[in-house]
Amino acid sequence: MNGALSALYSFFVTKLPYVTIAVFLLGVAYRLQRWLSAPKDPKGQPLHWPSALKYAVLDVVLFRKTYKTDKPMWLVLVLFHVGTGGILFGHMRGFHLWSASMFEVLGHGFAEFMVHTLPVYMGWMFLATQVYLLYRRVRLEGRQLQSLANDYGALVILLITSILGQGMRIFPPEAIPPETYSVVFIPGFIVLHLEKVPSHHWFFWHVLFTQLLVMYLPWSKLVHAISGVATSALYGSRRRKYDL
Amino acid sequence: MTSKDVKEALGKFTRRQLMELDTCAHCALCTEHCPVYAETEEPGHAPGVRSSKAVKLYDKQHGLRARILGPRPVTDEDVEDLSDSAFNCTFCGRCMEVCPFGFQTHELWSKVREVVHDLDGTPRNVEMLEGMLDESKNPYGLDPDSRLDWADFTDLDEIPEKEEAEVAYFVGCTTAFKGANHEVAFATASILNTLNEDWTLLGEDEWCCGSPLLLAGDEHSAKEYARHNVEVLESRGVKRLITGCSGCYRVFKWEYPKLLGHELKFEVLHTLEYILEKLESGDLKPEKTDERVIYHDPCELSRLGGLIAEPRKVLACLADDWVEFAEHGIDVRCCGGGGLLQASNNEARLAIVKKRLDEAKLLGAEVITSACPSCKLTFMDGAREHGVEIEVLDLVELVAKQLDIL
Repeated sequence: MNGALSALYSFFVTKLPYVTIAVFLLGVAYRLQRWLSAPKDPKGQPLHWPSALKYAVLDVVLFRKTYKTDKPMWLVLVLFHVGTGGILFGHMRGFHLWSASMFEVLGHGFAEFMVHTLPVYMGWMFLATQVYLLYRRVRLEGRQLQSLANDYGALVILLITSILGQGMRIFPPEAIPPETYSVVFIPGFIVLHLEKVPSHHWFFWHVLFTQLLVMYLPWSKLVHAISGVATSALYGSRRRKYDL
Repeated sequence: MTSKDVKEALGKFTRRQLMELDTCAHCALCTEHCPVYAETEEPGHAPGVRSSKAVKLYDKQHGLRARILGPRPVTDEDVEDLSDSAFNCTFCGRCMEVCPFGFQTHELWSKVREVVHDLDGTPRNVEMLEGMLDESKNPYGLDPDSRLDWADFTDLDEIPEKEEAEVAYFVGCTTAFKGANHEVAFATASILNTLNEDWTLLGEDEWCCGSPLLLAGDEHSAKEYARHNVEVLESRGVKRLITGCSGCYRVFKWEYPKLLGHELKFEVLHTLEYILEKLESGDLKPEKTDERVIYHDPCELSRLGGLIAEPRKVLACLADDWVEFAEHGIDVRCCGGGGLLQASNNEARLAIVKKRLDEAKLLGAEVITSACPSCKLTFMDGAREHGVEIEVLDLVELVAKQLDIL
């Protein structure tokens, strides 16, 4: 690896995380300020917690409405979101938030399946659903929907990140010094512990795009991960109010 | 219009609405469920596209770039484009029911129309309607004197206009001024008389409920109508207001408290709720019809008003052979009669209703019934336009018919 590339990769790991956190926090502040500076809803409705919770679970977790209206799309959405959750969960092991031993109580074979086999299939599934979502958006563009740049932005960055992540699984690990098994993003705060060392190139570009995704999150449609829960909860409260 | 006015108009989206616009993933899952889009197939008429257009305009004036580099101008074409989208909507709220995030779209689209109104983009036909309301307090521009004309063509002995009464019957403009609905008013009055109810009409003091103004985006004027109607009703000591118009019902029950900032001192009932009460108490004992009846949920009564079970309970007392549309209740497909679509795109309205009429015929219905004068008119216009032979009756008319008083 040449010096410039090595320096760039080092930048992705040692400097960029600070920028990522700063841009992310700035985005959160912007988003909150944008919403809070809008006039309060004079037609506000009180939040009815049981109904809010019920519809947040039914609509956000189980995708009730999509199930009712478009079953194939429901399956795609479920697989996509299960993939998102699974992959986030899987990454937590690298940050030592859980360990493979957690699954050992159910047998060594099961633990192996959970930490080594399942993630590979989940990665492919995750990629396939993203490709479908992108294809669907392009197909319906101008006929049934009018996307904004950030509708594509989020999907494209996620897709590239996922391709790079899955690429690490395909390309064989390289023989590299053991110290790289621990990737220190922010000392004492964000340290990634690798079990197998993947291809340098795939890994570091994956690191870059993951950080771009995190930076972009509050500025993009990915805010629906939070705001979608809120709007569904308000919808649930409305149903209660109208006795529906 | 100054740039300050434009900025102010677009700044009217509330926190929740802005969150909804920002959350909308433009997934198009609502598109095919929109009755207008299903007929016109115009991308601009799809709810998600409306959301894109609205947030784009908002960002021109209030987005991050506008904050840093200054607002970008909103052109006449922008406003026209948003207006075309906003007024090609029946306000049926079906997109809310299919939206994965549960956006309260009828309120969101109402705000979009308010923005369009403030930006002087209201379509001419709708503007004319506002003018007529201003002059004659009804959207048909007819003399307020003729509000009780429906009674002249009936054989009712007593049409009360009392100083004080327990119950007020708010007829509503579409029932009072449209000949096809006069029998609904007659049926209601006859039922109230049969029950010896202490009831009154408001006569010329009855103003439009304000629903067309809200639909035109003129919330400011709608408040004036709300204030007037509530004052008149309260001055007559009314305890219960009944109305057979689902638009009036929704506006009185759900919008007036928000517009006026306080709860009403009287109970608001749809005529069917009142009738159901009397059927359950045994005060009304209708005969059952042999005909096959199908019930269409008015959007403003069901999804947007909260009354789904009550009309069915009434219908069960009137017919053994009654059937449901595949899309009913909270998931009802609009007949096309809502949202002032008749004024902005009557062609689409008549195309939308055809689907409902065809399905009713397919299900073998001899009578199509609803609980809204706009739905009745739309079904009648649609049946005439498309040559569909089916009897169109308001459910209140069917009650009166089965009581043998109509």
